[in-house]
Amino acid sequence: MIQIQNLKKSFRTEEVETLALNKVNLSVEEGEFAAIMGPSGCGKSTLLNIIGMLDNPTEGSYKFAGHEVGGLKERQRTELRKGNLGFVFQSFNLIDELTVFENVELPLIYLKENKSSRKEKVMKVLERMKIAHRAKHFPHQLSGGQQQRVAIARAVVTNPKLILADEPTGNLDSKNGLEVMNLLTELNQEGTTIVMVTHSDHDSHFAHRIINLFDGQIVTESKNRAIGAII
Amino acid sequence: MFKNYIKIAWRSLKKQPFFTFLNTLGLAIGMAGGLLISLYIYDELSFDKMFPDADRIYRINADIRFGGSDMKSAEVSAPMAQAIQNDFSQIETTTRIRNRGSLLLRKSGAESNTRESNVAFVDSTFLKMFGIDLLVGDAKSALTEPNTLVLTKTAAEKHFGLQEALGQKMLLNNSETYTVTGVIDDLPANSLLRDHSVFMAMAGFEDAQQMLWTSHNYFTFIKLIPGADIADFQEPLQSMLDTYIFPYVQGFFPGITKEGFIASGNYLNYSTIPLTDIHLYSSRDSELSANSSIQNVYILFFIGLFLIVLASVNFMNLSTAHSLKRAKEVGIRKTLGSNKSELIRQFLTESGLIAFISLLLSIIITMVALPFFNELSGKSVSIPFAHPIFWIILLMATLLLGIFAGSYPAFFMSRFVAAKVLQGSGQNSIGGGRIRNSLVVFQFAISVFLIVATLVVFQQLQYIQGKDLGYAKDQILIVEDVSVVGEQLQSFKKEVQKLAQVSNATLSGYLPIPSFRNNNSFFKERATEQENALQMQEWRVDHDYLSTLDIALVAGRDFDRKFATDSTAMILNESAVDLMGVTPDEALGMRISGDLGEESPIFYTVIGVVKNFHFESLRENIGPLNLSLGGFPGAMAVKIKAGDFTDTLRQIESIWNQMAPGQLFNYRFMEDAFNATYEAEQKLGHIFVVFTILSILIACLGLFGLAAFNAQKRTKEIGIRKVLGASVGQITFRLTTDFLKMVAVAILISLPLGWYAMNKWLEDFTYRIDIPWWILALAAFLSVAIAVVTVSFQSIKAAIVNPVKSLRTE
Repeated sequence: MIQIQNLKKSFRTEEVETLALNKVNLSVEEGEFAAIMGPSGCGKSTLLNIIGMLDNPTEGSYKFAGHEVGGLKERQRTELRKGNLGFVFQSFNLIDELTVFENVELPLIYLKENKSSRKEKVMKVLERMKIAHRAKHFPHQLSGGQQQRVAIARAVVTNPKLILADEPTGNLDSKNGLEVMNLLTELNQEGTTIVMVTHSDHDSHFAHRIINLFDGQIVTESKNRAIGAII
Repeated sequence: MFKNYIKIAWRSLKKQPFFTFLNTLGLAIGMAGGLLISLYIYDELSFDKMFPDADRIYRINADIRFGGSDMKSAEVSAPMAQAIQNDFSQIETTTRIRNRGSLLLRKSGAESNTRESNVAFVDSTFLKMFGIDLLVGDAKSALTEPNTLVLTKTAAEKHFGLQEALGQKMLLNNSETYTVTGVIDDLPANSLLRDHSVFMAMAGFEDAQQMLWTSHNYFTFIKLIPGADIADFQEPLQSMLDTYIFPYVQGFFPGITKEGFIASGNYLNYSTIPLTDIHLYSSRDSELSANSSIQNVYILFFIGLFLIVLASVNFMNLSTAHSLKRAKEVGIRKTLGSNKSELIRQFLTESGLIAFISLLLSIIITMVALPFFNELSGKSVSIPFAHPIFWIILLMATLLLGIFAGSYPAFFMSRFVAAKVLQGSGQNSIGGGRIRNSLVVFQFAISVFLIVATLVVFQQLQYIQGKDLGYAKDQILIVEDVSVVGEQLQSFKKEVQKLAQVSNATLSGYLPIPSFRNNNSFFKERATEQENALQMQEWRVDHDYLSTLDIALVAGRDFDRKFATDSTAMILNESAVDLMGVTPDEALGMRISGDLGEESPIFYTVIGVVKNFHFESLRENIGPLNLSLGGFPGAMAVKIKAGDFTDTLRQIESIWNQMAPGQLFNYRFMEDAFNATYEAEQKLGHIFVVFTILSILIACLGLFGLAAFNAQKRTKEIGIRKVLGASVGQITFRLTTDFLKMVAVAILISLPLGWYAMNKWLEDFTYRIDIPWWILALAAFLSVAIAVVTVSFQSIKAAIVNPVKSLRTE
């Protein structure tokens, strides 16, 4: 599903050029659950942004489902992203002014789905996330765990091929964190590919594969065999 | 999708009440100002368009240079209208209006008079020309017979009921009897006939039947036949010089030719002006009613535009400043698949929503402000709520405003990069700072400009009011309509002079305040050729004129009762002496006549020369003038000693009541009459003040919001500085000076512009101030002071926050 070859990303300010990613090669298969780990500033989030088509690489190739994405314009990236990708963030990133229902509905609006189909899909996913009773609440009226469940609901409502999760449990206590990881694992088991950035060793063990980044380069990749052992 | 936009727009506005309030209020104030000005301009542009054939009606003007003076006359001679009607086939009809000023009117048999201040003689074609219908009476015959008149509804109701008016007899000035033959509706406030209430048939006015081709006293209107072009009429009009004027003039200037007339530097040019242009494009020596000028319309248009732009700039500034708070939302939306154009549409919906809320608020503000605005501007405009066109224009304008004001913030915010704003990086540097600063500079530049303009207008008005006019206008009471006292007039004057508080009194209708007066041609003895004509005003006064009005002599003497020969004596002003090309002393003893063409002209001997005094507006130079004894005085000027005016007034009124029982005692103060001359400037001054305050208010709202944003953005910096030992004063100073730099740039830009523009405005005045340096300094000081007060509230608020709190927040 994801083929990345010799990918470079540099940031240029007036005086210095910082190399965030340096000759990264990576492939993620369909149905895989991959965790990207590494210390702060190693380039994890930059890599995730590029995979999520929020940003373009400076050099190298990135193919998503066989399509070269590397040089696409913003508008084209947006089109490709819609319906294919779902995002889960550490800080949830729900829109404060919209209710739970409306937040989850938003990606479907951008896909121009009709109202009745939207309602049906949103309610279905909210029920699955066990948050349907909060549909009319605003984000600030929910706990952190509940907010992240809404964020996951929003990420999966379009039934995307790939979910990108950036420190999904970073702002949660261990109980809520575990709940979120279980949800992600469930989605993965149903066939959704997941790429997750995390600091947490605990969370990384939910993944099939752990990719370690250091100073913009992949230093190690390891298969994880302990799935299920810690659940 | 649109519903979603509206929903989120409404919620985010509700969530930030302070920001929404500032933004909406600023926009509403700007829109209310724009709306008021639009109503004003619409009214100005609508003048005389209500008359059915307005597009075919023109007035004939005459530009005359003769006897050393120039006249721009809105009137032409009496026989002109009939000659045009007879000679030119493209003319459907002509009509003349001759102003008769004010007169006293009463129903036959009634005890007391009513004063009608604007009475005119009109031709029988008057009603047909302007398409005016009669409410009562027969339009075809209403003004055909001598001694008949038509009243407006209000005038008719003053004396009779509307239905009873027809056929009633009325007494004019206690002497002439007229019959009411019709009543018309009151004339619209936006027509040149608005002040007129009584129209008398020209048929009975002898002067109108005379072939006096060189006396220009009749407003003459022509109506073209449909399809005719006014351009084709210019040449025939000018040809009347050959057909009528020169043959007539040769009667008393034998041998005069058109060529000789032109060769000696004189001219007489006829032209036409469309009826609908008169109000804004005509400012001739005597106009039928006070006109405005297109210049004022332009000035107000730009002020209105300034206000709208200021309010829009505010909106842009506050919205982009607050976009920090919206950055996360933009990032999420982009991540979830929204593209730029959808985001732009969303933010434009939001600005459109604010614009519509502001519209509602601005209509309320306008409704509240309208009575005050009408008083200031001297208009009676109203909001045309019932007109669908008004609403369509208003809604379209609001929509455009929403798009205009929202375009920059929408464009700005839609460019946020999702990856950055979601990570939180760059949240303190959303950019656009330079543009925001430029917008603040722009706003303050406009405000400073308006402050300069206001100060200059008021300074000029003060200069005019305090200028030495060459006569004493203070403490002078004018008693009007003294002719009704009849034979007892001299006794009335003597009785008034005897009052302890009265220092002097003079009987004369010619007072040094602008009014309808005409020039006449005078000639020195033995120099009666047309090229020696001396065009000057001729005033009839009495022996006490100069002493009552404190007019100084520069040569010779005042009129004196001891000299019987003073009945043919004349006093000139300095301009008249200049026109004659002699010194004041040389002028003494010269003999002058104004009745050339008569069999035995009366020659007047110059006995004195007075210092020039202003008798027209200070916009004009002082023209040549002569004073002689006699005439039928229309007014008495009374010089009153300082003290209690009301008591003296009561005493004069009681003398009046004894000598003219039942007659209206009508008076005014010369100072008020003088000030009325500058009413246009005063109104302009007041309008300037109001809109300057509005523009400053809008600029302050913007600055206040921006200062709040700035303080918030720098919370962490302020906290760190405080930890390191900065005092509240130092921090406040630091936050405030950032804004003052922008105000300083604004001052540097707008002071020279203001100085230049106001010098242009002052060029209209012959007697004017030079813009003093302190006006510029004061404008600069005021704008700095306003900015400091606005900004420091937010700065102090930010500076006194406990650093522990502000650092934790970060």
